[in-house]
Amino acid sequence: MATKTATSDVIPWDKIDMLLRHRTGRVLLAAITALLVYVVLSGTGIGPEETSTRIILSMVVGCLLWAHLVYGAWLVKRELQGLFVIWGVVTVVFFLRFLTPGDPTIALTPPDASTDVREQLARRLGLDEPLYVQYADYIWNLVTLDMGRSLRTQVPVMDLILIRLPATIELAVAATLVAMVIAIPLGVISARRRHKPADYSATLFSLVGISTPNFWLGIMLILYVAVTVDFLPTGGRSIGFAAAWGGLLMEGDFDGISRWFAQLILPAITLGTFFTALLTRLTRSGMLEEIGKAYFKACQAKGLPETIILYKHVLRNTLIPIITVLGLQLGTLIGGAVITEFVFAWPGLGRFLINSIHSRDWMVIQGIIIIIGIGFVVINIAVDAAYAYLDPRVELR
Amino acid sequence: MTEILRVEGLTTRFFTDEGQINAVEDVDFRIHEGEIFGIVGESGSGKSVTALSLVDIVEKPGQIVSGRIWLRNPHLADSIRSDNPDAVDGEMVDLRSINPRLRRALRGSAFSMIFQDPMSSFNPSITVGEQIAEAVEVQRRAKANPRSTASRTQGFGLGQFAMATVLPSKRFVTPAGRDRAIELLELVGIPDPAQRAEEYPHQFSGGMLQRAMIAQALASEPDILLADEPTTALDVTIQAQVLELLEEIRDRTNMTILLITHNLGVIARTCDRVGVMYAGEMVERGTLTDIFRDSVHPYTQGLIGSIPQLDQVKGRLQPIPGNVPSLRAAELGDRCYFADRCPKAMKRCLEKPPMFDVDGSEKHRAKCYLAEQPYDEGDALPEDYFDG
Repeated sequence: MATKTATSDVIPWDKIDMLLRHRTGRVLLAAITALLVYVVLSGTGIGPEETSTRIILSMVVGCLLWAHLVYGAWLVKRELQGLFVIWGVVTVVFFLRFLTPGDPTIALTPPDASTDVREQLARRLGLDEPLYVQYADYIWNLVTLDMGRSLRTQVPVMDLILIRLPATIELAVAATLVAMVIAIPLGVISARRRHKPADYSATLFSLVGISTPNFWLGIMLILYVAVTVDFLPTGGRSIGFAAAWGGLLMEGDFDGISRWFAQLILPAITLGTFFTALLTRLTRSGMLEEIGKAYFKACQAKGLPETIILYKHVLRNTLIPIITVLGLQLGTLIGGAVITEFVFAWPGLGRFLINSIHSRDWMVIQGIIIIIGIGFVVINIAVDAAYAYLDPRVELR
Repeated sequence: MTEILRVEGLTTRFFTDEGQINAVEDVDFRIHEGEIFGIVGESGSGKSVTALSLVDIVEKPGQIVSGRIWLRNPHLADSIRSDNPDAVDGEMVDLRSINPRLRRALRGSAFSMIFQDPMSSFNPSITVGEQIAEAVEVQRRAKANPRSTASRTQGFGLGQFAMATVLPSKRFVTPAGRDRAIELLELVGIPDPAQRAEEYPHQFSGGMLQRAMIAQALASEPDILLADEPTTALDVTIQAQVLELLEEIRDRTNMTILLITHNLGVIARTCDRVGVMYAGEMVERGTLTDIFRDSVHPYTQGLIGSIPQLDQVKGRLQPIPGNVPSLRAAELGDRCYFADRCPKAMKRCLEKPPMFDVDGSEKHRAKCYLAEQPYDEGDALPEDYFDG
């Protein structure tokens, strides 16, 4: 009895409870945790060596904590479901390898290598084991965050992917942002001025945008913006996200961040054009549908300013279905930016995947597909959470 | 009794691809302060469009073609008398002749609307309290700064909107507005109003939401409350409660109410005076007794004849034969629109009847030759006249 009283005296549970109930309290707690993680990481020297990568890692931990505080049991449930999905992806990808022609030992050895040499290589790579042993090994290694080594270069697959993942995410997010910033206002204007010149111009723009091939647009942009005007770099990724922002925040270095921004503009426009066009049409039709609903008339009858009716009432409801498309599209951009990555020599996952398929580097292919799968799962959970946030009728269960 | 609204020759048409539709045609009526005026008619008779025309929110391709809407507003009348003498008549202001921006600024304060389906007339993703508070704010801003409310952006353009998303203090709805919303919810008899204000429309029942809608309509302290079929979407028991609430509000605040319904029972229990609409026209109007006991127009008589009477055994109900005519201008022609369904149609009825005073009283008027002459069987239209 006495000890119980003592604990409740020491730890103010009721205050913590109150903190967790409030929005600001949760954010505060997440921020404190992120800071704590950062201090521990730099103090013990565990994890990534770069300061900026450490900051990103601790921010991710903080965000995860915040999300769990807000979404609680629902999020845990969805994470378990996500794990199950990823296991399915791993299994399919693993067994798919044995259905495709081509022996990696042939690709790895010189054409005149003897059967002996190839068998030896197979033994070293563990390819001579029975299938179920190979499968169990692979799963176990995955649990310990080991995706094996590239068959071609013998570098750990995890390292190869981690180098390229930021570039991919960066490009996908930038393309989505370009699309949102252009398409949503354009869609709103288009809906508000229906059957007027502004609407027809927006329709024409989205028609052209949807029909423009990526590779052509990319090459034209390089030709006219990068080469003729010499305004932006023609391609490549000379500086990463972490280095650029870390340089700005730590050393006040503007050169890195401007280079980072400049290298991103053309690829983001190239990748985002199709999506912008699509989103413009979606916003327009969604807005028109909402404008036809009874609450629009009710808002007008109240005498609300048009800005409030359009942006607070109508656009918010229009965004609910758009969020879904946005999420799915972001998912496809992670693996599907191949053409843009080739045109701009962007060191992303899509280009890497194609190259690995050419060299039958199965370990890398598996790794990339699993990462893309994880990306889809995470985005889907985020979309559902956003859905519930925007539409109070949706309950997370 | 002071006159508060006078509608003269209101005509609203829809110019669609399939042709012109005369939704409201030359409608006249007047409403006095503190009374409940009912408009009754079948679906598609132009009742709702009349209400939307008053508030000036008829959507394209609809357009108010002509007519004057005189609203009593001494303050506004004084301020625009010198600039626009045509728009002022004593204390009355013609809303159709004033600047459209000024008219838009008057929306909440001149008329408030209660809509038919409360579930779809609230935004599903914003709390009920917030939506009521918006109506409070519109009114507060209009009083505090009439000039900015009558501007193009109504005092809240994109710049202000962007500011409001960053700074909570710049938001459209203020804490005072939220408190007023809670008071209003309490006023219309919603239990635990502070809690309910935080809830979303889908968490309310239909009846509760209709009460909330009435609270929202009261928030802007309107001159006239337009209730467009306020009870149609509700259960019968809830209907009675909502009507009682409207009457109670009228008695307490001397609010003027324009009640639109297709339910004669609702009219009979709440209204002081009634207008009957048919095919976009107001065919008869008068006091409740004029309409229910001394009606002249065969359509009004037909409507009343088709109400079931529980205390009398009359055998089968008497429905009005035929259907409501299409309102397409090309098909309407230039006759009395009811002639094809009228049991007392005469040859005269092929020419459009004007509005007649009934028994020399300007208060009871009807658009029917029977107000002027008794039914003449010798002059009757052959029964199959419209069949061909």
